[in-house]
Amino acid sequence: MDISAQISLTVLMGVFLVAVATWLTRVENWRSYSPVGGGAIVDRSGYVEEEKPAGIIRWLTTVDHKDIGILYGLYGITAFVVGGLMVTAMRIDLVTSESLLGTATYNGLLTSHGITMLFLFGTPIIAAFANYLIPLIIGADDMAFPRINAIAFWLLPPAALLIWAGFFAKPLGLFGPAQTAWTMYTPLSTGAAGGSADMVGGAGVDMMLLGLHLSGVATTIGAINFIATIFTQRGEKVTWANLDIFSWTVLTQSGLILFAFPLLGSALVMLLADRNFGTTFFLSDGGNMLWQHLFWFFGHPEVYVLVLPMMGIVSYVLPRFAGRQLFGFKFVVYSTLAIGVLSFGVWAHHMFATGMDPRLRTSFMAVSMAIAIPSAVKTFNWITTLWNGRIRLTTPMLFCIGFVSNFIIGGVTGVFLASIPVDLVLHDTYYVVGHFHYVVMGAIAFAGFAGIYYWFPLVTGRMYQASLGKAHFWLTMIGTNITFFAMILLGYGGMPRRYATYLPQFASLHQLATLGALIIFVGQLIWFWNMVSSWFEGKRVESADPWNLADDGVNTIEWQWFGTKLDTQLATDGGEADEVATDGGQVDADDASADADADPETNTE
Amino acid sequence: MEAKIFDRETILDLVVNFIPLGIILFFIGAFAVFAPWGFEPMASGLMFAIMVVMFLALAVLTYLSAKAIAGDEKRATVYAQGQAGLEGAEPIHGHDDAADTSAATDAEVDDTESTSE
Repeated sequence: MDISAQISLTVLMGVFLVAVATWLTRVENWRSYSPVGGGAIVDRSGYVEEEKPAGIIRWLTTVDHKDIGILYGLYGITAFVVGGLMVTAMRIDLVTSESLLGTATYNGLLTSHGITMLFLFGTPIIAAFANYLIPLIIGADDMAFPRINAIAFWLLPPAALLIWAGFFAKPLGLFGPAQTAWTMYTPLSTGAAGGSADMVGGAGVDMMLLGLHLSGVATTIGAINFIATIFTQRGEKVTWANLDIFSWTVLTQSGLILFAFPLLGSALVMLLADRNFGTTFFLSDGGNMLWQHLFWFFGHPEVYVLVLPMMGIVSYVLPRFAGRQLFGFKFVVYSTLAIGVLSFGVWAHHMFATGMDPRLRTSFMAVSMAIAIPSAVKTFNWITTLWNGRIRLTTPMLFCIGFVSNFIIGGVTGVFLASIPVDLVLHDTYYVVGHFHYVVMGAIAFAGFAGIYYWFPLVTGRMYQASLGKAHFWLTMIGTNITFFAMILLGYGGMPRRYATYLPQFASLHQLATLGALIIFVGQLIWFWNMVSSWFEGKRVESADPWNLADDGVNTIEWQWFGTKLDTQLATDGGEADEVATDGGQVDADDASADADADPETNTE
Repeated sequence: MEAKIFDRETILDLVVNFIPLGIILFFIGAFAVFAPWGFEPMASGLMFAIMVVMFLALAVLTYLSAKAIAGDEKRATVYAQGQAGLEGAEPIHGHDDAADTSAATDAEVDDTESTSE
C-alpha cells in the first residue's frame, strides 16, 4: 500500500469516527435524565449546575459520583459475568480427569479468571458502592476530585481489553491468552528471556501485564480520591466519631492501595523489562524469590483491599435488619485499622514452602496469627448484633448472614494455613483454593450481593423481585458450600491446585465441586434476570424508607437523600396504582403486631 | 487533654488492638528466648524487625486513631453510624456527656430487645 492510500484510509477513518461521535450525541433516548432530585445539584455557592447532556454523551462525560458509581457497577458486573463464565467452563472441564478443553485453554482461563475477578470485578464493584454512597453518607457534594474520578474509571475498560487480549487475538492467529496464573511467578512468566521459552502466552502475557499496570494506576487514582474526599469533604456533623463503618473501611482500603499498588506496578514494569528489554531483575540468583516477595507484598494487602469494604457493607447493612445498631461499632473501626496495618507484615506466609530462612518464616507466622484477631472480633460483633435482634430475613440480610457463615469457614481454614507446619502439608493444594474462595466468593461476593439488593431501590427507584432474590441466595449459598467444601476435602487428599487433569481417585470430589459450580451458575442467571428486569420494569418505590428502617430507628442518611429525590422528581411515566410490597419491608397484619412490639426508641437513646 | 481522651472507655475500646499487639509481643519474647535455628544477625535481625515494625506501626496508628475518634467524641455530638445529618436523628450522646461514651452503642439495646421476642 503506498503512502497516499494510507493517508486516504486514515482520513476516511477519521471522518467515520467523527460521524459516529456526532450520531452518538444525537441519540436522545439511551436514558433520559432530569437533574432535579439527582443529589448535589446545588453547590455551596448556590450555583445550580446545568442539566446533564442526554444520551450516551452523558455517560461518557459525566463527573457525577453517582453516575460514575453506576458505571463502575456495570463494569464490575460485566467482569463478574466474564470471570464467572470462564470458571464455569473450567469446572465443566474438570468433570473428567482428562482435560476436555486442552491444558493451554484451561491455563488461560485459570489465569484470566483470577485476574478478572480480583482486579476487574472485586476492586471496581467496591468502587461502585463507594462512589455512589460515600459522598451521600458523609455529606459531601461530590468526590474531592470529580474529573480525576472519571479518569480513574475510564482507564479500566482499556485495562480489561488488554488483560483479555489473548482471547481476542487467538482466533486471529496472533497470540494466545496468558497462562501464568494470576501470581505470574517467575521464571514461568519471564518467557523466552527465562527458561520457559514462552510457552505461557507470548505477547498475551505482555498485554496482560500492561493491562494490570493500567488497572493499578486507575485503582491508585481512585484511592487517592477517596482519601481526599473522606478527609476533606465530610459534612459538619460527620466527625471522626460519626464516620460510618463503610467509609472507615474504604478509607483503610484506600490506604492499603496507596502503599501496595505502586509496588505491584513497579514489579510489573520490571517483569516487562525482563521479558522485552534484556534486563535481568528476575533472572539472576534470587530473582524468583524477589518476584514472590514483591508480588506478595502487594498480593496480601490486596486480599484486604477486597474484603475490608465488603466487611464495611455487612457492618452497615446487617444491623438494619437486626433492628438495632451495630454491636461494638468502635471495635469494628479499630480492628479495621489494625487489619490495615498488619496486612503489610504477613506477605511471606504465601511463601512458607519456598525454602526461605526458617527464622524469617516464624515472624510472618506470628503476624499472621495476630491478624486473625481483628477479623474474628468483627465476626463476634456481627453475631452479637444479631443476638436478640428483631431479625428480618430480607434478601440483603440473607446475604449478610451468608457472608458471616462463609467467612467463618474461610477464616478458620486460613488460621490453619498461617501455621508453618500445617502450611507445608497443605501448600499448593485445593485446600488453599477452597480456603480463599470461601473468602472471595463466600464472603466478598456475598457482601456485594447484599449491597446490591439493599441499595437497589436507592439507585433505580424500583424494587427487585423478592422471591427471585431469595432463590438466588439459596442457590448461591448451597452451591458455594458444595463447591468449596469439596475443594477443601480435595486438598486434604493431596490434589494439587492449578492442574487441568487429575488422578482418578479425585474424580468424585471434582464432580461434586462442578455440581456446586453449576448450582451457583443457575443462581447467578436468576440474579441477572432479576436485576435487569427489575431495573426496567420493577415496581416503583414510593417511600423514602422502603425497608421500614425508621420503625427501629436504624434509618440512615442516604435514604433521606433518596426521599428528597422522590419529592423533587419532575414526573413519572404514569407510575403504578398498587402499593409496592418491598422485600421484607411490608407492613401486613403479622408484621404490624411485631412492629408494635418492637420499641422504636430502641436505638436512638 | 490526653488523659481526658484516653479514659477508661476509650482504653476498653482499644483492647481489640491490644490483643494482636500482645500476640506479636509474645512471639518477640518467645523467639528471643527460644531460638531453635540459632542466632544469625541478618536472618534473626529481619525476623525481629518485621515483628517490631508491625508492633510499632499498629501501636502508632491505634494511638492516632483513638485520639481522633475519642477526641471528636468529646468535642461534638455523637450519632449512630450513618445518622449524622439525618433529620430527627437522636444523638447517642451530646458532646458534654463525657461519661459512658463508648459503651452506649453496645449496651443500649439490651433491655429492650427482649420485648420483640
